[in-house]
Amino acid sequence: MAPDELLARLSSTLRHDIGPAVVEPFPKTQAFMASVILEKLSAQIRLASTHTEAEAADLAALAADLPRLLGAAPVPPTVAAAVDRLTAGDGSAALSALVAALWAEREALGADRFQTVLGRARTTMRARIDRQMEFAA
Amino acid sequence: MTAGTAGDGAAMEDRIASYLRDQLHAADLVLSGVERIAVGWSHETWLFDATFTQDGVARTEGYCLRRDPGNALLREMSDLGTQFRVLRCLEPTAVPAPRGYFYEDDPAILDSPFLVMEKVPGVCPSPWGRDGRRFYEEAAARGELPRAFTDALVTLHTLDWEAAGLGFLGVPETGTGFAQSEVAKWKRLIESTGVEPDPILVDLIGWLEANAPATDRRALVHGAYRTGNFLCHEDRVSALLDWETEVIGDPMYDVAYVLSDLNREGTELLSNLVERDDFISRYEAGTGIEIDIDACNYYQVLYGMRSAAFWMSASGLYADGRNTDLRLARTAWSIPVVLDRAARDLGY
Repeated sequence: MAPDELLARLSSTLRHDIGPAVVEPFPKTQAFMASVILEKLSAQIRLASTHTEAEAADLAALAADLPRLLGAAPVPPTVAAAVDRLTAGDGSAALSALVAALWAEREALGADRFQTVLGRARTTMRARIDRQMEFAA
Repeated sequence: MTAGTAGDGAAMEDRIASYLRDQLHAADLVLSGVERIAVGWSHETWLFDATFTQDGVARTEGYCLRRDPGNALLREMSDLGTQFRVLRCLEPTAVPAPRGYFYEDDPAILDSPFLVMEKVPGVCPSPWGRDGRRFYEEAAARGELPRAFTDALVTLHTLDWEAAGLGFLGVPETGTGFAQSEVAKWKRLIESTGVEPDPILVDLIGWLEANAPATDRRALVHGAYRTGNFLCHEDRVSALLDWETEVIGDPMYDVAYVLSDLNREGTELLSNLVERDDFISRYEAGTGIEIDIDACNYYQVLYGMRSAAFWMSASGLYADGRNTDLRLARTAWSIPVVLDRAARDLGY
């Protein structure tokens, strides 16, 4: 049995067989919570491979777009460093660093460039949270 | 017994009784109806009655004891000593709050800090359950409790907090000081988890820091004013509870919480209780403060950050092995839900 299927079955057993048999309120709540957690973990594990690939593709596409969107004007060092981290495949931590650098340097970037680059990053963040909502909601 | 455990119930009962005998100089004191109630995630709460003789007269008083288990949500943000001071300051005021009797930080007594306060009559149904929703639906139909809900907030926000001695909570600078201090406070909680913040959370914080509203309004702000955080008795608000996020700041912070659709379920009534128009008109008439919708909108976005901080802290307590309550572990999956909403608030 695949791990995600096993977790889903454990979740169902907790919800339908174990939880209802528990009388005390606190342990009963704990049994129900365990069921919910296993259900979400099951979905997260089932989707993990697909999500990891999509995440990597999205971040690579963002990294590829950024030099053009930032243009020829000087780029603040923290923004440039975050772009380098994204290009190097540093994952969501690099995306966080980019967003933090954009807010910190928005005046240096100028309103238009700030909005353009942040807007592009937000497209990536929207796709990322949509994936997470597939198992978290 | 170690901090972080409730300990054996009977042993705890004996220790509480022993403590109260000393405090009340009542050697014959006995406890009855001792009950540890499962509310909130921040402190243990014990309710009981104490019967004793004082000045030759037998009397029975109800008490509520809150104990810091040492591993609770928001422990770093609001300690019981601060809550006790707030309760003592509120005692001579019109704000409905339990009277604070004793506070102890000596771990020799009950292993960790605790406070003893008045057991106020009333019930506190959770608005998230079927029974609670029915309770508030029926109370809304009768009409008294919705008015009392609004009036209690009016009383809180019109309190002369300086005269009441609440300045010790810290007074934010005018202008954007309050909003900036709240963002900084929840940012510290996020940083304390040691978890790399999600990019959306970083974006949210950047937006909040760049768009903080300027205001000179100052009031005692509860910080979580909704059904489930106050006691109801005969359709009155008999006591405001959960003084863990109180702060001196913009009263719109509470108003935004009341107006938020996060605090109602399956109904258009604010906090499952009060019509929006009725709340606004009664609040404005009672306080003389015009509700600032732009500020409320900002604070509702700020509540997204605060929720993310709560859930990161809560799930971290479980992940670190400091707390075994699976409700805390479950909140790890609440973080994306909060951030999804935050992203929508920011327009994406």
